Amino acid sequence: MLIKDLAAARRRAGLPRPGRRGSLALRHVDAGSCNGCEHELQSAAGPAYDLSRFGLHIVASPRHADILLVTGSVTRRMLEPLRAAHAAMPEPRLVAALGDCALGCGLLGHADELVGPLEQVLPVSIRIPGCPPSPEEIAAALRGVIASGRPGPTGG
Amino acid sequence: MGEDALRLEEVAPAAFAARVAAAVEAGGRFGGLDARPDGAGGHRVRALVIAGAAPLLVATAARQGSVPGLRAMLGAADWDQREAHDRCGVRFAGDEPHRPLVAHPADPVAWTTPVSGEDVHQVAVGPIHAGVIESGHFRFHVVGERILHVDVRLFYKHRGLERAAVGCRPDEGLALVRRACAACAVANQVAYAQACEAALGLTPEPALRRQRTLMLELERLYNHLNDIGQACAGIGLAAGAMEFADLKDRMQRVNRAVGGHRFLFGTVAVGAGVAPADRAARAAARAEVLAVRDQALRAWREILFNPGARQRMRGTGRLGADAVARMGLVGPAARASGPAHDARTVSPRLWYPGFSPALAPEATGDVAARIEMRAAEIPPATEIVADLLADDAAPAPARAATAPGGVGVGWVESPRGETTCVVDLRSGRIAGLRLRTGSFANWPGVAAAAVGEILPDFPLINKSFELCYACVDR
Ligand code: SF4
Repeated sequence: MLIKDLAAARRRAGLPRPGRRGSLALRHVDAGSCNGCEHELQSAAGPAYDLSRFGLHIVASPRHADILLVTGSVTRRMLEPLRAAHAAMPEPRLVAALGDCALGCGLLGHADELVGPLEQVLPVSIRIPGCPPSPEEIAAALRGVIASGRPGPTGG
Repeated sequence: MGEDALRLEEVAPAAFAARVAAAVEAGGRFGGLDARPDGAGGHRVRALVIAGAAPLLVATAARQGSVPGLRAMLGAADWDQREAHDRCGVRFAGDEPHRPLVAHPADPVAWTTPVSGEDVHQVAVGPIHAGVIESGHFRFHVVGERILHVDVRLFYKHRGLERAAVGCRPDEGLALVRRACAACAVANQVAYAQACEAALGLTPEPALRRQRTLMLELERLYNHLNDIGQACAGIGLAAGAMEFADLKDRMQRVNRAVGGHRFLFGTVAVGAGVAPADRAARAAARAEVLAVRDQALRAWREILFNPGARQRMRGTGRLGADAVARMGLVGPAARASGPAHDARTVSPRLWYPGFSPALAPEATGDVAARIEMRAAEIPPATEIVADLLADDAAPAPARAATAPGGVGVGWVESPRGETTCVVDLRSGRIAGLRLRTGSFANWPGVAAAAVGEILPDFPLINKSFELCYACVDR
């Protein structure tokens, strides 16, 4: 990709300039999504939005992560893997609910197969609403965590 | 009666497999099989075969919970049978034991294929993967790096969407179908809407058919761009991955401008269309779609001339046309191995006048050919989109054409291949729903293509199919 294409892509994304300090490592877990939230998280890490400019990196292991980004309505079958990923993270660690499903809004499916909102399983401190939240919204919410200066609760 | 009138056949259990196989042999496409309680303590098994635009449902009663299996005659029915067995215990004689597919027994011996020999060992991957990927588990049976067999274990994301739809009105069911999968949201919902409309005796007017076709092709474009980018990521070609990620994002912006949503959520309704975007927005979208196509073809040519990319893609994960036919694979992945069906040629409820499928420049059936198919399908899809964006008409509701039959079938060429949907309605409520997506049809192909290859090539082979987990798990 040529540098000028990259510049154009970033203009379209319309993100602010990176701040000055701080970084957070993100680990994603799909707990039962429709894959929309994954697509948008990937886009947020892609060329136009480029989360890494803001010190936000998606990492391959929960061992390296500060934030667990969870998507989807938690299914019965993903409950244990999700808990294991969370338990594998070093302290301090935060959990972000990415998208309306993880937030428990309008959960759809059969009651036998769903555990319920993420909040009933893990302590959620970052809430990113949307179905799915756009890459801009994901980037803005995560930047907010860094801007707040401490890995503490944000959102409503 | 239209050309797509549904035929229902009730056959004796002993004749079931032969009847379904004969319909496929005569040129029909297998569109899935499922089993349901018959309300009297037994089960009914039903298979869908579509010949051209004419759907046929063959049904039989499972005696003592068993019907003769189809697998020997029809490999494509394998996953359907395993699903039916897991869901309601129906057995398919001759194909037992049924390895669990939807069910997740804890003991690996219960669900993995026994593979033995000197130095054979297993590598377990998932359900959580290293990247931003959907959840699913792969069990590789390997000697050193060489893959002997892969057991694909999906359904970690099973949400019971079809069961939840039972008792719902058709419009409520649509919301459940949309949740199945974002990347195939339009395809799944159009297949579902068609099935409901067919069951209700409704026929879509041309403006509604055009609007749905527009949304389907917009969905195809951003998906194909995504798939090429993902394949580049799979070979570590960052320039291609970034370029196509950006092109995909541009198309999703077009989606938002034309359909109000980056994944076109909310653009499909049962029996009706949605208000089209205004003229200025459509004109701007048209120019952007053409620009994206030009840039995509330029970028694709650069990838083709990259020796590293060529070397990784050529000859990797090869599937012959015979294997594709045996497993009943669909979509660009099937067309990459030779001429194969494209449901757009037989979609009377959509708008594809004079359509003929893009041909693979070289139908080598490998990663290169599968990705090349995506590139080859971009210009024709762009043409359809550009044409339909010039259309002004707001769609009228579907009109009553035939007597409601209570059961309806829909099918659509999704970005991953033909997706079928069967809906049973009783007193205006859903009594049964089955959505069989292109991804469902093609997962066995991923496992087959990996055999004989080395472990590090699996992500690339997987991405050359780029199947959804969500719309298989449902
Ligand atoms: S919030 Fe929306 S996009 Fe995200 S997983 Fe749920 S249904 Fe899909």
